[in-house]
Amino acid sequence: MANVRCLQKLFRLQKLLLPLHAQTCHLASLHRQLPLAAASLARGYAKDATDKTTGSTSLEDFRAREEQLERERDAAEEAAAKATQNEAGSGGAGGAGGKQQESAEQSAKQAKVDAIRDKILDAALEHVPQHGWTRQAIVLGAEQCGYPSVVHGMFPEGGFALVSHFNGRCNAQLVQSLKEKTSKGQQEVENPLDFLVQAVRQRMEMIAPYKAQWPQAMSLIAQPQHASTALAQVLTLVDDICYYSGDRSVDFGWYTRRIGLATIMKMTELYLLQDTSAGNVQTWEFLKNRMDEAVQLQMALSQTEGMTHTFQRSFNSAFITARNILGLGFKRN
Amino acid sequence: MQSNQSIRLLSLARHLIRRTATQASQQTTGATGAGAAESASSSSGTEQTTHFGFKTVKDSEKEQKVHEVFEQVANSYDMMNDAMSMGIHRLWKDIFVERLGPTHGMRLLDMAGGTGDITFRYLKYLANQANPQQRPSHVTISDINQHMLDVGRERARRLGLTEEQLPNTKIAWQCADAERLPFEDASFNAYTIAFGIRNCTHVDKVLSEAYRVLQPGGRFMCLEFSHLTNETMQWLYDQYSFQVIPPMGQLLAGQWQAYQYLVESIRRFPKQEAFKQMIEQAGFDMVSYENLTFGIVSIHSGFKL
Repeated sequence: MANVRCLQKLFRLQKLLLPLHAQTCHLASLHRQLPLAAASLARGYAKDATDKTTGSTSLEDFRAREEQLERERDAAEEAAAKATQNEAGSGGAGGAGGKQQESAEQSAKQAKVDAIRDKILDAALEHVPQHGWTRQAIVLGAEQCGYPSVVHGMFPEGGFALVSHFNGRCNAQLVQSLKEKTSKGQQEVENPLDFLVQAVRQRMEMIAPYKAQWPQAMSLIAQPQHASTALAQVLTLVDDICYYSGDRSVDFGWYTRRIGLATIMKMTELYLLQDTSAGNVQTWEFLKNRMDEAVQLQMALSQTEGMTHTFQRSFNSAFITARNILGLGFKRN
Repeated sequence: MQSNQSIRLLSLARHLIRRTATQASQQTTGATGAGAAESASSSSGTEQTTHFGFKTVKDSEKEQKVHEVFEQVANSYDMMNDAMSMGIHRLWKDIFVERLGPTHGMRLLDMAGGTGDITFRYLKYLANQANPQQRPSHVTISDINQHMLDVGRERARRLGLTEEQLPNTKIAWQCADAERLPFEDASFNAYTIAFGIRNCTHVDKVLSEAYRVLQPGGRFMCLEFSHLTNETMQWLYDQYSFQVIPPMGQLLAGQWQAYQYLVESIRRFPKQEAFKQMIEQAGFDMVSYENLTFGIVSIHSGFKL
């Protein structure tokens, strides 16, 4: 009883204070904002609670809001950077300006070195069928570009530098073609499964010209000192393919789908190495079968999700009944 | 040579007594000398001074003094290297040449090559590689001290690494100053300098000369004693350097001062990062360094792109 009266007193106090607050300008805006925020929060919670099926629309709103915020933040950062640049230019406070110049120079230098590295490795790819993924291929590529053979020292990882460059190039090509097919991920994909199969097939076909030397490349990729680069490349590729196939999930399925696709890709790659059929048709059949199996497995797992619960419960109850019959679980107070 | 040994032991004893008596004063003068040298070489005085170990000398004198040091040690240079580093210097040089990765068709300038350690490894590496297209390779060994080159030539003859015995190889021995190379622009595609650059008076001149004689795409590699990453290990290394090496030099080669200079000059050389900056300033790209044996030696590498 006493609590209720205290509460009533608090309500009356608040009603009294509210007009006073409203007189000060900044608190007035707060007053206007707070109920709005509260209302939107309430709406958000209500939505989450009621419609999980139409989760995609609220997710779209959320994404749109986040992207808007990020754009505003980027614009603010740019404006701040321009302001400091103007200050440095006019005021002669060369500290910040000098540092910016230095970093610009450094990035220009880095870009020059990267361009030369790419040029040499692209030329070296032509020598791979004869010399394999080795330092010798890099040396021949460098000499083709007009550099002395000593520049192979720019690639201390040796053959793996060539392999990762090739993989990176193929991945970029694939992503470009997927982008064009789906017009930058905006277009809806009718048959995601078929899309995945096509994407994996396209990627595997890029390896086909180097099929005889690919086992050597795979052994280089498998070496532990190169594991971080190799893993990063595979995971970004798989992520890109899944994204362009229309996967916008935010649950655990995000991981399972990508790992599943990576497994299928690796299996297909291995199958391709020993495929002797014309045009590698057996490989594409193999790929299709693996994709179908993966889908079947996923469906089976989702169906048995309910079944495993009933299994668990029935097993539990059987155990308790048996224990009671044997008199083992009897509590004597 | 009983009398020779006893003479050496007597002089060693004399050195040790002299050293313990004046050790404290020497170190303080060394420290102030270091400070004075830095300020003096930056000031526009009558003559530029530089460091010679922990002493301060005029620029023109340093070259002469370094020449004297190497005249004295040339005959026992290789033996002393083995003794001081307990043979590890062979591994360092092996790793250095492995990093260079010689291929047929390379034109190497082995600066401060002296007794030819790097060159011999280069020639052996090439000899182990097949040369199906019979491409010719070149190496020019250069040193400021003719006596060191003579010792190197004799060693090459003994080891059988001569032009007659190695097909498709040209070997040249040239006495030259690293700051004023008598070679044309872009006449080499690899430049190595192992344990020599800290003896040069003007390191920046050496680097710019190296840039000049290298072809576009050429590689500069430097193997040099450097600074340890760990403070405790640096202290241990200092104790070994200052307490063990000069007496060892006196005992085995009869030269105390030369080896005192050697360990002091190691301390005066810039640290890994600072030396990397100097190489970048000379115009080289993709400059990197690799520490060996916790930083006792460091391999710096840069490309002329």
